[in-house]
Amino acid sequence: MTTTLAQQPAASAAPKQAPAVGHSGPVEEGRRSTTAIPAFVRTAAARAGSALWKSAGIIAFLALWELGPTYLASPSTRVFLPPLHEVVAAWGKLFESGTIQGHLAASLTRSVSGFGGALVAGVSLGLLIAWYGRLNSVLNPLLELFRNTAALALLPVFTLLLGIGEESKISIVAYAAFFPVLLNTIAGVKTVDPLLIRAAKSLGLSSLALFRKVILPSAVPTIFTGIRMAGTASILVLIAAEMVGAKAGLGYLIVNAQSSFLIPDMYAGILTVSLLGLSVNFLLVALERHFSRWRTAVGSGS
Amino acid sequence: MAAKISLRNVTKQFTVRPGKGSKASRRSQDSQPGAAGKTGTQEPATLTALDSLSLDVRDGEFLTLVGPSGSGKTTLLDLLAGLSTPTSGEVLVDGRPVTGPGKDRAVVFQQYALFPWRTASANVSIGLEGRGIDGRKPNRRERAAKASEYLKLVGLAGFEERFPHELSGGMKQRVAIARSLAYQPDVLLMDEPFAALDAQTREQLQDELLRIWRATGKTIVFITHGIDEAVYLGQRVAVLSARPGRLKEIVDVDIPDRDGEDDIRSHPAFVEQRHKVWTLLHDEVRLAQDAGHRKILPDGTAPDEIPGTTLERSAA
Ligand SMILES: Nc1ncnc2c1ncn2[C@@H]1O[C@H](COP(=O)(O)OP(=O)(O)O)[C@@H](O)[C@H]1O
Ligand SMILES: [Mg+2]
Repeated sequence: MTTTLAQQPAASAAPKQAPAVGHSGPVEEGRRSTTAIPAFVRTAAARAGSALWKSAGIIAFLALWELGPTYLASPSTRVFLPPLHEVVAAWGKLFESGTIQGHLAASLTRSVSGFGGALVAGVSLGLLIAWYGRLNSVLNPLLELFRNTAALALLPVFTLLLGIGEESKISIVAYAAFFPVLLNTIAGVKTVDPLLIRAAKSLGLSSLALFRKVILPSAVPTIFTGIRMAGTASILVLIAAEMVGAKAGLGYLIVNAQSSFLIPDMYAGILTVSLLGLSVNFLLVALERHFSRWRTAVGSGS
Repeated sequence: MAAKISLRNVTKQFTVRPGKGSKASRRSQDSQPGAAGKTGTQEPATLTALDSLSLDVRDGEFLTLVGPSGSGKTTLLDLLAGLSTPTSGEVLVDGRPVTGPGKDRAVVFQQYALFPWRTASANVSIGLEGRGIDGRKPNRRERAAKASEYLKLVGLAGFEERFPHELSGGMKQRVAIARSLAYQPDVLLMDEPFAALDAQTREQLQDELLRIWRATGKTIVFITHGIDEAVYLGQRVAVLSARPGRLKEIVDVDIPDRDGEDDIRSHPAFVEQRHKVWTLLHDEVRLAQDAGHRKILPDGTAPDEIPGTTLERSAA
């Protein structure tokens, strides 16, 4: 938000300058004067403009949230839909008392351990399965079955077997994150360009070197797509698991606030969940982009 | 003098699944008696890509190989590279049978086959990352120095840190050539390496390849479908027949004062020998077309050329 506001004057200054010069001469001159405006001003203006445009939806939504309950909703509905400022105030209070940090920490610990375990297991098992074609044909139907069984449907099973403690929650997060990682790892290895494998073999690379230097790097972008999907899935499942039975965590905060009739607190919890999801996705997208740098413009060239 | 590369009665057959109707019936002429005629059955058929081919390549020779599409040129190169094994016959390099890929041979592919996640320098040095001929592993700095040396040889000094997607087609192929030279093989196997390049870049690279060949004394087997290219580069031009590939004839290219400044392509001797190769090939191309042979790459991609047109254009 602050950057958008700071760049606002530049954005309004740029269009004013161009017509002023353009008046004095023909169209061509006008165009030349546009290039005379420092490039950074123009890019900054363009960026500010597009940022404003992109955030228009969010701003409209927040405005509706703030004003809607007061002016549009009936008094009884208003109780369940507090305006934005009340939610923000509740969030501030929860933050001051350290409640929100505590729940966030509990959720993060669970998701990081579950997600991390799934990552290690999914990638290594995926590489193994893809490398041994036989194993793949045996396991594929089974994997399809598991993948299409919604993780949440298994929540009661996990709870029965592992109790309502940390183990069951970490396990179900791991389960939900495992399949996207596993399946994308297998797909990544299988879709390696056969020409590159021929080239590597002709260069005298051993099987191990071929795997490490050709198959793995070319599978990395696909694996990262799986990791990003796993990130989204693990948060979803975690919140649900915490809602069903937990003594801490964001999911617990939300249902607990609801049953204690602390409606603004409930929305504060929901807001925290969306922010957490956003930042996890942002982080994973950035990582994915970093590891797929070499892929930019591939396909347009050769 | 002993031959560097020696092919003795080499036959290569592929097992193919007779799928989509018409193709199976076309192939039935190559098929084993059992599968012949049974169009559309799931019984595997045999396709003969190379039929009892014998050919010697001298040490330090530049041999070009032409043949209609689907005549088994790539199949032959794969056998030489050790990427596949012959159904029958022998493939010898330095008198020893080829059992797999080796550091004495290098391949340059038409589609460059650079590793897109590696810089030009890292692509060139990938063949140096294992143990060298002297049995010791060169360290990172030695490899980078070697890569620079070979990038310079192909005219790409200063492009070490570029990724393949930042290079033009001609530059990519230069990197691929540098990569194949860097581990100092005796034999360079090239499969239509300049076919995807524009005419100007192609001529430029042809001259550079000749320069590199003279400077390094490698044995080069160069596959092409351009008759001009074959006669311009090769000391001998081997012409393959339409499928199944047999050696039809070897044309000795004898052009006086090759190193002169003149336009060799308009030299009477060049014109004469090009015509000879053209005639040999033209019959085969017509044969191939009549038989309805279509080029199907091993990876299943569509034909990249219409048989005949390229040949006629380059001969015109
Ligand atoms: N792996 C394979 N399996 C089945 N058929 C193949 C395979 N590789 C090549 N062929 C067939 O062998 C013939 C010769 O192919 P190729 O050597 O690629 O021809 P060229 O390079 O001369 O155009 C073609 O008919 C092709 O379809
Ligand atoms: Mg070919």
